[in-house]
Amino acid sequence: MFGLYESAFGALSWQHGLMFVIGGLLIYLGIAKKMEPVLLVPIGIGIFMVNLPLGGLMIYTPDGFPAEVGTVGELIKSIGEGKIGLLNVLYTYGIKSGIIPLLIFLGVGAMTDFTPTIARPISFLFGAVAQVGVFIVFLIAILSGMFTLNEAACVGIIGGSDGPPTVYLTAALAPQLLGPITLVAYAYMSLVPIIQPPIIKLLTTKKERAIYMKPQVRQVSKLEVILFPIIIFIVAALLVPKSVPLIGMFMFGNLLRASGVTDRLAQSAGGVFIDVLTFLLGITVGALMPAMVFLKPQTLAIIGLAIVAFACSTAGGLLAAKFANLFLKEKINPMIGAAGVSAIPMSARVVQKMGQEANPRNFLLMHAMGPNMAGAIATSVVAGIFLGMLM
Amino acid sequence: MDWNLVAKIAGGGFGLTILVLVILSLVAWVVGLVIQKTRSERKEDSSKGNK
Repeated sequence: MFGLYESAFGALSWQHGLMFVIGGLLIYLGIAKKMEPVLLVPIGIGIFMVNLPLGGLMIYTPDGFPAEVGTVGELIKSIGEGKIGLLNVLYTYGIKSGIIPLLIFLGVGAMTDFTPTIARPISFLFGAVAQVGVFIVFLIAILSGMFTLNEAACVGIIGGSDGPPTVYLTAALAPQLLGPITLVAYAYMSLVPIIQPPIIKLLTTKKERAIYMKPQVRQVSKLEVILFPIIIFIVAALLVPKSVPLIGMFMFGNLLRASGVTDRLAQSAGGVFIDVLTFLLGITVGALMPAMVFLKPQTLAIIGLAIVAFACSTAGGLLAAKFANLFLKEKINPMIGAAGVSAIPMSARVVQKMGQEANPRNFLLMHAMGPNMAGAIATSVVAGIFLGMLM
Repeated sequence: MDWNLVAKIAGGGFGLTILVLVILSLVAWVVGLVIQKTRSERKEDSSKGNK
């Protein structure tokens, strides 16, 4: 009657309403508060798209899994018949396959300058110890009884604070949690300036925060910058073969930049290319959050566990730097260890800001970028280790 | 739940992460050292040649 038969009002429930509030909140945080807008806005829109009943952009099975996309030849027919939606295609071929997170990592590599890590190789250790939060939360998640081994690994890796490895690992081990895990990971990454300072203050004295570091460690030659991605890739690939897709893409992107002869490719990879992929990732991840999947106790647990992971990782990196100071002649500011949690470049900026507050002469940004970049490599290694152990 | 496996993944995984990153750190340090030494030797040679 009056065409009302086709309206979606009858299918609306309070769960849909709650998801609209969550989607709206993400769009608000992205636009008004500028928190990771490139991701939170598309995720928010994706949530709206999938929670407006009968829309058909993303079709779910009764068990809460995205409907399977058949062969490429069947795509058009399946979409026409309403068996799958456009976002099912993006999910299957873009995220579940691992293509989008890997290509995003290529773009991140093209934007990354490893000079601070090369100049101070001890940064790798801070990045490594800063992964402690991943394993602590893995254990807590298992002990909670709410997660399987695979799911616990994916919840834990949020503590690595690196988007592409988190998405890649979750798509491979626990695709059913991809929506909440990706959302929580990126939301917390944008909250690093709020999460890290209290932990850093708790674990350092003002005197330690004021430790002065010379502006430059040493001059890094062009040859070192070019060799670094190639050598790190080969060694990491031999030690942790399952990390090859992540580290390979990251280092390939970096080589485009470091070589100095593929500037156009590096600019494309770190520009429009990564923007389009991030937008596609965001909208598809948003579409992975229909009310029936997102509104579960597991989601609340992920939100709580992720903050524990962030806190433990920050503390781990910071304590590693304090420990290193016991042996170093020229003391380092222990706060740079906290940047080992990755979250490029937010955590390095936090260290820079806190360093200047404690000692206005200090300029710690480049020093903190070393552990920051090492943290990104470390998280990829951890993802590879989890994949090797659990697949 | 196989707690032996859980312990292996958590303890072994973290230990392996540290080990891999220590190796990467050593590799980066050695490569840097070799390149710096080669460059400084070349500079010395060229400055001797000029004399």
